Amino acid sequence: MWDDWRNSYSGPRPANGIKAKNQRGAIGETWWSKRFLEVLHSFHMGARLDRGRSYARKGQVLNIDIESGLVTAKVQGSSSRPYKVEIKLKELSKKEWEQVEKALVERAIFLASLLAGEMPKDIEEAFKEVKLSLFPSRVSDLKTACSCPDSSNPCKHIAAVYYILAEQFDEDPFLLFTWRGRTKEELIENLSLLRGVSADSGSKAKVDKAEEQTISSTAMPQVPIPSLSESLSNFWQARASFSELSFQPEKTSVPDAVIRQLEPLNLTIAEKNLQEIFLEIYKNLSNKAYEKAFNK
Amino acid sequence: MIILNVVWSESSNLTLWAESLLLFEQFLAKREKLKDKAASKTTKKQPEPAEHPFVCSTNSISEILGLFLQIDSKVSISKSTNKGKEVTTLFLPTSDNLPQPSHPLFRDLIPQHKPKDLSPWIVPALELKSTLALEFLLSLPNKAPTGIIFSDSLLFFSELAKFALKLVVQGKILPTLEKRQDSFFARWQPVVNTDAELLEAKQLMELMPLSLCWIIGTPKPTTSITTIFQLALESLVDGLVRQTLAGNKFFTTNKKYSSVHQEWLTALLSEPQIVADKAELNSFYKVVTDWHHSAFKATVGQLRTCFRLSEPPSDDESLEPKQTRKKTTDKSIDKATDKGQWKVEFLLQAMDDKSLLVPAENVWKTKGKVLKFSSREFENPQERLLTDLGKSIRLYPELESALKTARPVSLSLDTSGAYKFLREVMLLLEQSGFGVLVPSWWNRPLLRPGAKLSAQPKKSKGTGTNLLGLDGICEYQWKLAIGEQEISYEDFLKLAKLKVPLVKIRGQWVELKAEEIQAAIAFFEKKHLSGEMSVNEVLRVGLGLESEKIGVPVVGFETSGWLKNLLTENNEQKLNEQKAPKGFVGKLRPYQERGLSWLSFLHQLGMGACLADDMGLGKTVQLLALLMLDYQSLGKKANQQHPPTLLVCPMSVVGNWQREASRFAPSLKVQVHHGAERLTDKEFVEEAQKADIVITTYGLATRDQALLSEITWGRLVLDEAQNIKNPDTKQTKAIRSFAVQSRIALTGTPVENRLSELWSIMEFLNPGLLGSASNFGKQFSTPIERYRDKEKATLLKQLTQPFILRRLKTDKSIIQDLPEKIEMKVFCNLTSEQASLYQAVVDEMMQKIEKSEEKSIERKGMVLATLMKLKQVCNHPVQMLQDGSSVAERSGKLARLEDLIDEILAAGDRVLCFTQFAEMGKMLKIHLQEKFGCEILFLQGSTSKKARDQMVTRFQSSTGPAIFILSLKAGGVGLNLTAAQHVIHFDRWWNPAVEAQATDRAFRIGQTKNVQVRKFVCIGTIEEKIDLLIEQKKELADNIVGTGEGWLTELSNADLHQLVALSKDAVSETVAKTSTTSKKAKPKKASS
Repeated sequence: MWDDWRNSYSGPRPANGIKAKNQRGAIGETWWSKRFLEVLHSFHMGARLDRGRSYARKGQVLNIDIESGLVTAKVQGSSSRPYKVEIKLKELSKKEWEQVEKALVERAIFLASLLAGEMPKDIEEAFKEVKLSLFPSRVSDLKTACSCPDSSNPCKHIAAVYYILAEQFDEDPFLLFTWRGRTKEELIENLSLLRGVSADSGSKAKVDKAEEQTISSTAMPQVPIPSLSESLSNFWQARASFSELSFQPEKTSVPDAVIRQLEPLNLTIAEKNLQEIFLEIYKNLSNKAYEKAFNK
Repeated sequence: MIILNVVWSESSNLTLWAESLLLFEQFLAKREKLKDKAASKTTKKQPEPAEHPFVCSTNSISEILGLFLQIDSKVSISKSTNKGKEVTTLFLPTSDNLPQPSHPLFRDLIPQHKPKDLSPWIVPALELKSTLALEFLLSLPNKAPTGIIFSDSLLFFSELAKFALKLVVQGKILPTLEKRQDSFFARWQPVVNTDAELLEAKQLMELMPLSLCWIIGTPKPTTSITTIFQLALESLVDGLVRQTLAGNKFFTTNKKYSSVHQEWLTALLSEPQIVADKAELNSFYKVVTDWHHSAFKATVGQLRTCFRLSEPPSDDESLEPKQTRKKTTDKSIDKATDKGQWKVEFLLQAMDDKSLLVPAENVWKTKGKVLKFSSREFENPQERLLTDLGKSIRLYPELESALKTARPVSLSLDTSGAYKFLREVMLLLEQSGFGVLVPSWWNRPLLRPGAKLSAQPKKSKGTGTNLLGLDGICEYQWKLAIGEQEISYEDFLKLAKLKVPLVKIRGQWVELKAEEIQAAIAFFEKKHLSGEMSVNEVLRVGLGLESEKIGVPVVGFETSGWLKNLLTENNEQKLNEQKAPKGFVGKLRPYQERGLSWLSFLHQLGMGACLADDMGLGKTVQLLALLMLDYQSLGKKANQQHPPTLLVCPMSVVGNWQREASRFAPSLKVQVHHGAERLTDKEFVEEAQKADIVITTYGLATRDQALLSEITWGRLVLDEAQNIKNPDTKQTKAIRSFAVQSRIALTGTPVENRLSELWSIMEFLNPGLLGSASNFGKQFSTPIERYRDKEKATLLKQLTQPFILRRLKTDKSIIQDLPEKIEMKVFCNLTSEQASLYQAVVDEMMQKIEKSEEKSIERKGMVLATLMKLKQVCNHPVQMLQDGSSVAERSGKLARLEDLIDEILAAGDRVLCFTQFAEMGKMLKIHLQEKFGCEILFLQGSTSKKARDQMVTRFQSSTGPAIFILSLKAGGVGLNLTAAQHVIHFDRWWNPAVEAQATDRAFRIGQTKNVQVRKFVCIGTIEEKIDLLIEQKKELADNIVGTGEGWLTELSNADLHQLVALSKDAVSETVAKTSTTSKKAKPKKASS
């Protein structure tokens, strides 16, 4: 029976790897991952690239690892052993990075966006100013290899990795820099240095620790419990008058402020962006809750 | 009496438990009995945890819960609670083997040592699922129903639920993914991060009762108040969001493939637990956490970024010499142009000292990782500022343009940009936890264009029928204005042409919203700019309640003439004083003259008036004077038909009105329409038209509605107008249906504090003034009662105060007019049951004494026994019958007492109530305690000296019980009870000296309070006759005192009969119990 199945269908073996989040339509949510795929398409990979999409959606890419100048991945194809895929991209030299960093520091927006977890919109411009590029600029910048017998380039497996890579960029734009030879930490540290802040990592840990609190407790004032004997002597009564409290809700022009300040979540459900769904929920919720507040 | 408590459960649910006063008293009695026995035996130590000795069963709790919920929720009570597992263990402060009761009402009953520790007790408790808990908390009425007390723990939770609701309305929530061991839950968490929210959270925590820190079943409290506060708030917010969103669909699900995030979103809208692949969930958990950190991680730390908006530098306008400005308006309007040049500066702000601000310029200059500023050190200032700016771009994309340089310090804006910042961006930034500073004028109401209403009395044409020729019609004009200042239409169009949302005119910023400008233009082009309105309309429109209908905001309101007088505060002081009219027997005190003038003034305007003076200030007298005034003025035109006044009052005061009318206004013809023998049909109409006043009861106003409607009444007066507090009852509807020219409501309760009552009374007096009931609820009741909205309360006061006159006996201007001691007779009717019992006792006695020998000891005994029985019947049928039957609604005196106590409690006063019968005192204590839900002290002859002293001390203390019943032969014990403002003699001693002695307990020389003394007298009974004897012949009275009641036994049969005989006007029909056709109820056989 296994053989029958093998004969009638020559697709890959089922696998439970990284499934592309977008199961329909285009892969790539952010401008930078879209730009990445756009660049690949411009290299005339066209139809061959598209073949990788269904692989990516089925979860054939088992793992992916991004480091300086090199992406490695394992992809489950039709043979029992997964294929090994490698995509090399020329990393920028130390000098080149220095040029880029100098250009970046000229505008506060670059470091500000990066620190806020977003890829600055004009980042390509900054690279161009020093005659460099963040994305591969010609097909020869990419050196690929796959252990499958298919000779076409890219094969289905490499193509699938490209798509998963794009989604990885969606989630963490800094991986693009990593691939180009700078981790997020290095980049931020260097930019800070250039801004005249001396390197001294002594206080860093402290800040991070404070940030580990849960969201709702971020700034909640801490009120301790009095000693047992004090508690017992005034156990039941409110310790001040209720009459000064007034929690009358007012309509707000920005019921979705909380969602709007978060970086966009690059996820969709039935082609609707999750962020948009949340914005709708918040508006609806605010109106309904207001009605509730004034109903008898 | 039941105390409703709440406690938080381990499973994060609100849990109800309740203590019962009845069970507590029973427990104490039982323990007292056992004490002696136990003393001989060795006391067995109770097993732990023991059952709590005075708590309600879960069935009773769920019954109470049902009182507050919609009917369909009642069904779900059993579903949404912990049915099956109904007892729980609570750790409660314990001493003397007794859990400390939660309420002082219980604690005061027995001395208990101060608890040193907590012990476990088994308590029936009802755990509520979050939906039910929320519905319960949000529907909790302001005032607990009779017999129930809301504990502070419950009140706290009700406030917390409102806080949660406010956060949800403001969108201060965040969808999260919670990981507990290996399970994942989708949750909505509150985001409390603006200064205002943090302050509110702190306020709540600081008043939270400490009992809430002990979660069910745990001997140790939570680590801090913050912990339990957060747990509870999180649970309430999560529940609220789910409940509010229930049934809504925001996305079409992909059935073929469900992603983790789809599962998450689904779980946020339905059941919280997510079942999906663990690995995927784990990696998604990181996605959600990172997502949150993209905004909220930043707000932690010593510093935050602050945006400060500054307005363009002011020009030379203020320097311009004033005299050169001839046409001020024109010039300043011409000068109002868009000057641009607003700035949003970037700063760092210290979290713990919001006044510590570091400009961006200084931040960029920092070398190294530490910023030193004003003797403080801050870490990583550049990174903080840059990160925040990067995040702010998401909220405020315009910022990006300012960040194109290496060291940005501010963003330049034009006026429209500044307006957008103020109206929208500022909120977004604040909600996100950034600091925002704006010019202080923004926080005050801005001037804006709108309409200004001027209203004045209509100039009367010729002489009207009224004394002053007032008819309640006003003329009005609309004028265009900015703030209070009028502005010409041409100038306004000039402003509109500027097309800027903010303009500075004469040094003040004016908000010019495009839609408001359009609305104003549309309004003033319609040109219906003058006309006539009623007083009602003028008030509603002028105070801005009809702005939506009009289409423009009402920015100014100006009145003149009597209209101005009407609308000023304390308007009664501005009126021409009306003296007591001719034919009025008695004197009016100065404030009563003002009251009379006020009533007469409103009458002439055709407006209804509510006279709400404190009890004892003489509302009756003022009204009778007004009727007398009418009578006099109409008397001058004798040929004119004079429409009678219909006075509707509670049955218990019919007799009182009748007595007072004949005393103060004897020339008025009074017709009493009540009792089985009242007139009907034509006969009634004929008689009523001849009368000046027709007195009837609320019950009959409903039952005889058709008959009463046959007459056009000159005036309809409601005494104890709180009787129509429920607008939907038949009674209220019947009363509103009568055709009348003028309406007056009398009440002694502070109507302004009971809003639905206020609405109903106002709707009777001045229909439409307060709008429809449902509108009134949204506009006033809910904001004021649920949220303590002070602005709305002020607005409501402005709207109603012209028509309510309420003077307190504590007002300085009143006190000087009052004697220190006011003594009053309170005339009560008998119920028909009392009357038949009374008749039976009299008949029985007459039969017996006719057979007995004159002056025999047997006759003497019989007479004395009869007198005793008559006194008892006058008090209450149950006192004589002693059959333990129900007490409510069977005695005229008791009904009157209940009304009085209601007013006394509402005024926050204290009262001593004397009766000579211990059994009556006990009955009153039990009945009133149930009815008013408060502790009542009761002292009788058998009370021990120690208990007596304790009661006196408690009554005198500022927090003690307000009602003290004493059944004690006067004299002897020196009681000092000066805390009372009221003394009521429920029955008479027939001995003025004894009564005076009792009264003097409340009234001591040197005390500053005025004391009101009321003596209850049953109309048409022996009580009234003896009262008359005492009044008429003081000397005889003294003799009576000397000889006790003995002299009565000496009277001849005929004299005796005359004294005890029941006169016709004694009876007061209880409408519910007597049908129209029935003859007098058959006398019950009096038990001997």
